[in-house]
Amino acid sequence: MSGSARDRCLTCSDEAVEAVVVAVNGLEAIVRVGVEEEHVAVDLVLDAAPGDLLLCHAGIALTRLEQPDERRAAS
Amino acid sequence: MKYVDEYRSAELARGLAAEIASLVRPGETVRIMEVCGGHTHAIYRHGLEDLLPPEVELVHGPGCPVCVIPMGRVDDAIALAEEEDVTLATFGDMLRVPGGRGSLLEAKARGADVRMVYSPLDALDLAAKLPDRRVVFFAIGFETTAPATAVTLLRARAEEAPNFAVFCNHVTIEPPLRAILETPGLRVDAFIGPGHVSTVIGTDAYRFIAEEYGRPVAVSAFEPVDLLQAMAMLLRQRAEGRCEVENQYTRVVRPEGNARALAAIDETMELRDDFEWRGLGTLPRSALRIRPAFAPWDAEALYTVPGARIEDPKACRCGEVLTGQIKPWECGVFGTACTPERPLGTCMVSSEGACAAFYAYGRLRRPAEEPVGA
Repeated sequence: MSGSARDRCLTCSDEAVEAVVVAVNGLEAIVRVGVEEEHVAVDLVLDAAPGDLLLCHAGIALTRLEQPDERRAAS
Repeated sequence: MKYVDEYRSAELARGLAAEIASLVRPGETVRIMEVCGGHTHAIYRHGLEDLLPPEVELVHGPGCPVCVIPMGRVDDAIALAEEEDVTLATFGDMLRVPGGRGSLLEAKARGADVRMVYSPLDALDLAAKLPDRRVVFFAIGFETTAPATAVTLLRARAEEAPNFAVFCNHVTIEPPLRAILETPGLRVDAFIGPGHVSTVIGTDAYRFIAEEYGRPVAVSAFEPVDLLQAMAMLLRQRAEGRCEVENQYTRVVRPEGNARALAAIDETMELRDDFEWRGLGTLPRSALRIRPAFAPWDAEALYTVPGARIEDPKACRCGEVLTGQIKPWECGVFGTACTPERPLGTCMVSSEGACAAFYAYGRLRRPAEEPVGA
């Protein structure tokens, strides 16, 4: 992930960013972070689909986030 | 940004601050350690300490992965970078961490081929573009970052990458927490658990803190309302006589973590017998090495690294900062001999380091009678 959209540790460490999936092609996804689009690996979130919100770190998606509407539906 | 505004609401923050104040008794001191460097950065950036009653003291923990790497491992990375056929790739902050022989940036200035990457996968791509070189990725980080390295190793094996290797320095979060919890005269009453590490290892991994050491835990996200809510959860537990692991970051973190990420780590890496940590000394079974099955991509199997133990500079008190024994401004070189531009210690390098975060956001807010760096 490039760090231009962020103000914390730019390249490493414990920081991860939330990104919206734009497209998925095999084990690679194009995600949107702020106004930028970037590539992340989705080896660990195999069911990622366009519109999903992913937590991404060091070039890979770590997990899929619950979206606000899902949270409302679950409560 | 979407999904962030609600976690930065001033009204919600003020309400939580009032609740926190109502949960402490006047004159007592409750010390809460935020384990994660990302939390430290957010606390300073948003001025959260200013919202808290004087009875609540925040203690910064060991969770900045750049900060805990000892000087000897930096020297090992420099030695690898100086191998004739090696292109060393790592995250940007690691380039500036001083070792006994300077930093990787200085090694680059001397002629070593050192590159900055955002991901270990970028390093693997770089190897494909440099067939005459061996690209060695200097891997650091807790369980948040280890999955990216694990995925990269799995892909390197699948692609039979002939010229890629990893110098593995991944560490695990439980041993330093145990070391802090076993510090004689421990002055921490509760813990804010790391958010992104927990997406991988899950909240159940912290039950030992509550069950064996009697300290409550609240795993938290990184926005100001998140952190204040986590503090309120901890103080509520205390007020109600409970001691358990709670999860403030439910939108991301599950009790069991991410099984697929844990499996990828387990397939590619195993625990080392011990590992030296800055400020904490040598901790048993606290770091990961590459499994023998992945030896063709293990820099420590391919090259001889010096493995020397290098003492920290005497003036640098990073160790005490990392274990919450002193605040950044209590270090004699803070803001004078040690600044983000010319760091002496690791805590001043990464923006998640307590010293760098306080330097960036906190130092101008301290009262005149408590001069910084004095």
